[in-house]
Amino acid sequence: MHPFAYERPGSLAEAIALLGRHGAEARLLAGGTDLIIRLRDGSLRPSVVIDLKRVEELRPAIREEDGRLSISATSVMTDIAADPRVRRHFVALAEAAAVIGSVQIRNRATLAGNICNASPAADTAPSLLVYGAVVVAAGPAGTRRIPIDEFFVRSGATTLQRDELVAAVELPLPARRIGAAHVRRTRRRGHDLASVTLTCGVDDAGVTRLAYGSVGPRPVLEVDESGTLADPGSTGEARAGVLERMFLGASPSPRSMRASPEYRVAMLRALGERALRMALDRLGGG
Amino acid sequence: MSRDGVGASVTRGGGYDRVTGRQRYVADIHLEDVLHVKLVTLDCARARIRSVDASAAWRVPGVRLVTTAEDLPRPMPRFGPQFEDRPVLAVGETKYHGEPVAAVAAETRDAAEEAARLVHVDYEELPAVVTLAAALDPAAPLVQDPALRPGDPFATTNVLREHRVAWGDVDATVADLVVEHVYAFPMVTHFAIEPHAFMAAPDGDGIAVWSTIQHPYWLQRILAKLLRMPLSKVRVLAPDPGGAFGGKQHTKYEPLVAFMALRAGRPVRLVLSLEETFQAARRASASVRVRTGFRADGAFAFQDVAADYLVGAYADIADRVVSKGSYPACGPYRVPAGRVVGRGILSHTPPSTAFRGFGNPQVNWAVESNIDEGARALGIDRLEIRLRNLARRGEAFIPFDTPADGDWEQTVRTAAARIGWGTPLPPGRGRGIAIGIKSGPTTGLSYATVRLLADGSVIVYAGTSDMGQGARTVFAQIAAQELGAPLEAVTVVMGDTAVVPYDAQTSASRSSVLMGTAIQRACGQVRDQLRGMAARLHGIDEAGIVVERGTVRLPDRELPVLDVLRRGLGRLGGELIGNGEMRKEEEPGHPLGGSAAFWEFNCTAIEAEVDEGTGDITLVRHVTVSDVGRALNPLQVRMQDEGAAIQGLGHTLMEHYIFDDHGRIRNLGAIDYRIPTSMDLPLELHSEIVENGDGPGPYGAKGMSEGALLCVAPAVAAAVRDATGAVIRELPLTPERVWRALHGEPDRP
Ligand SMILES: Cc1cc2nc3c(=O)[nH]c(=O)nc-3n(C[C@H](O)[C@H](O)[C@H](O)COP(=O)(O)OP(=O)(O)OC[C@H]3O[C@@H](n4cnc5c(N)ncnc54)[C@H](O)[C@@H]3O)c2cc1C
Repeated sequence: MHPFAYERPGSLAEAIALLGRHGAEARLLAGGTDLIIRLRDGSLRPSVVIDLKRVEELRPAIREEDGRLSISATSVMTDIAADPRVRRHFVALAEAAAVIGSVQIRNRATLAGNICNASPAADTAPSLLVYGAVVVAAGPAGTRRIPIDEFFVRSGATTLQRDELVAAVELPLPARRIGAAHVRRTRRRGHDLASVTLTCGVDDAGVTRLAYGSVGPRPVLEVDESGTLADPGSTGEARAGVLERMFLGASPSPRSMRASPEYRVAMLRALGERALRMALDRLGGG
Repeated sequence: MSRDGVGASVTRGGGYDRVTGRQRYVADIHLEDVLHVKLVTLDCARARIRSVDASAAWRVPGVRLVTTAEDLPRPMPRFGPQFEDRPVLAVGETKYHGEPVAAVAAETRDAAEEAARLVHVDYEELPAVVTLAAALDPAAPLVQDPALRPGDPFATTNVLREHRVAWGDVDATVADLVVEHVYAFPMVTHFAIEPHAFMAAPDGDGIAVWSTIQHPYWLQRILAKLLRMPLSKVRVLAPDPGGAFGGKQHTKYEPLVAFMALRAGRPVRLVLSLEETFQAARRASASVRVRTGFRADGAFAFQDVAADYLVGAYADIADRVVSKGSYPACGPYRVPAGRVVGRGILSHTPPSTAFRGFGNPQVNWAVESNIDEGARALGIDRLEIRLRNLARRGEAFIPFDTPADGDWEQTVRTAAARIGWGTPLPPGRGRGIAIGIKSGPTTGLSYATVRLLADGSVIVYAGTSDMGQGARTVFAQIAAQELGAPLEAVTVVMGDTAVVPYDAQTSASRSSVLMGTAIQRACGQVRDQLRGMAARLHGIDEAGIVVERGTVRLPDRELPVLDVLRRGLGRLGGELIGNGEMRKEEEPGHPLGGSAAFWEFNCTAIEAEVDEGTGDITLVRHVTVSDVGRALNPLQVRMQDEGAAIQGLGHTLMEHYIFDDHGRIRNLGAIDYRIPTSMDLPLELHSEIVENGDGPGPYGAKGMSEGALLCVAPAVAAAVRDATGAVIRELPLTPERVWRALHGEPDRP
């Protein structure tokens, strides 16, 4: 591994100052399940690694405040998947957190790291998009809130500024009842990166939100306000037509060795229908 | 059966240490003053090396040695188990992605890695051939320099060698139905959990080398020749490997670290990453054309098999894999006319080597699948057609080889019964059944020494490598059985060529049979000495004395061995030493150099369910039945079969190397090369043992541990076809490939 300096700030202000001082030379470290791999294979060679795990304000915490659930930057997948409030209000996020990597990975991997790494295959992204999550970014000028749909740019790139870090991810507690489900497609049943990762949420006003990743440079959110998908009376044909339009945003790479574009698109359809059924069942079942 | 003798399911020795991290593997051994080695490789398969500039590397603090081809003897020393074709470092041209051009030794691993990155190699990339089609194109570049293949008729092609076996007259045989198809088998790697590791240290006027090697004595021979040292000055230390599966049989980077250690005058160590391991050892992919002639009643008229194996840039043991793997292609069946042509095709890919099953799974997949095609066309049950043609005990199914050495029908019927063959299935489910056969060792040589110590405890010296197959445990059980010692009092010493007598190799599922016999014979010598002692002590004739299971039986009474031993050794103490030898000599004129010591025979049956929307296969039930002659340790036999079955699911369902246009392995490493995890296993896995005591080894044992891997693929593919109608002749059966077959999409390479 290329040598680097290791910093472990105790406060948010200190962390932001370090980030400001080292700029592009610095990398933030949370669980390290993405970062360490890239340090070891040499594809990233920062001169400073700033560990966020001792930052007082970012301690692992899932808090309910002002009508939203706030998940701090160092909260890990294991805790998110097990949290009763997440399971009650945001079941598709709990499901996504529960399939990431393996037990060992989930004990380390953070939600903030998952979205900041900005892999198109990030499994939590579709659920965050469906639930309308907001990213709380902290920088020298204070904090700002970025709607998750405006956070992702393309693989490895977000709208976070160089001198900012993610302090928390917030999920507005739903005003309406939502049935939702996360599903994904992998090459094997054991832990694997997804070749399609998808969440569907249907609310009791008949609005269906569908978000999917790993089929283009960034995860995509589509909303059906026509009610067709949510309506148990609509024909299979009508539903398929709506889904087809929602999947127009998919542009899988022909160069990937994980799956061909044809297969990904076909799986998007298969998974979309499956997740929709599950979401409707859950909505119906209360 | 006794508590801990032969036939008891004794827990495997060392198993607990392995899973708790207590076992000391080569990479865990820390030598004083050691230097860390990192290989310098290029970002393409084939390149002309113009020059190597190491000046920047030398400036990295801690760097002590940079070795390039220039620093090694001239001409470049070459080695290999069959052909001396592999250079210690690439000279002039690299021939596969990952072939080292230079190596750096430094005080720390990080410094070595940093310096290796800074070795500047000026090179020109050249076109590489990484597929059979490309390698066989008449215009293809030659992988091996014809100058290195004098007198070889294939020297101006990429064919390494061709092996033909034939009996009857295939061309003159008429059949009612002829089925011909081509089947593809993927390139896969062993994926042992323990990394390959190599260390060398000057040792007086000789050298000591630590390696994760399976064949320490073969390595010793190769090193002695390369270093021009007597065998006695080359000490190979080979701690029990942590999984090998054939990938650790042969010499790889030991010569390089030996030259570097001698040059540096200090110990050096090289531990390969998983990525480097992918580039160091793998199984040959293959394309197998099978033409099977059937009579209307399902009897085979002929088998005509042409198997092309894609081997690497250097032969390693691949030529033997081709000849021995393709040889029993016609299967354990009565085949009036058979013809098998096996060819090894050189390519710009990492050297292909031995891998559990040794070239057999490739042809087995093809031939067993083709039998199913014939059965379907003839309207004959797939189990029935196999039973109809199966060789019965004593039948010479390959005319010039060991006749059928088991009740094979019993094995097949057991598997069929366990899978419920012929009983109704729920919709969407299917069944498949296939038979695997492999020749055991054709030649062999094992020596063993057994010491019965003054307190009745025993030390066994055996040059076998225990890489998890449990040889230590079985050897201890044999010695306990033969000398009547409790198992806890038996120690098995392995893995040091300066201490343990010679053994040719740990391969071909041979050790229980060959080394086991040598140990039995060594124990026999000890017993003879005990009889001599008892005769002397009691003034009677040796002929009237029997030593059995810890007891010395005289004509008029029985004495414990320990009693005779103590009195016999007298006040000075001492011990009894026995030596045993087991040879299987070469048979001149035999196509493989020798007939099979035994046949490994397995029948695998599968019940599968397929999700037609996604192509996912669920193995509902996997039955594997092996004829092992005698299970010396039934628990270990089952564990070996389970391991082999699961490993076979790798190439069947998901494993394969993917190359890019530069001959680079795209899925280099664990992220995109998928092996089965515990979540990918069959919902039920049953392993059964057939024991008729009809093997040539101790107590009627045959070799085992490869059998359960041989025919996994054809059994699974047959079940998938039975469930869905999908016809797939290329492995692995990935969800996408199954989905493509079901939805009429053309297959993708
Ligand atoms: C074996 C294995 C399996 C995996 N399986 C999956 C899977 O199934 N699905 C999936 O989605 N992912 C998977 N991953 C990827 C990884 O585990 C996740 O992306 C994880 O959530 C990353 O979180 P982390 O805390 O480990 O991030 P780190 O590795 O610590 O950081 C990741 C990136 O985000 C930046 N970063 C971290 N925290 C912040 C912050 N607060 N503010 C700004 N930037 C920050 C870092 O600088 C770095 O660039 C897997 C990884 C491995 C090794």
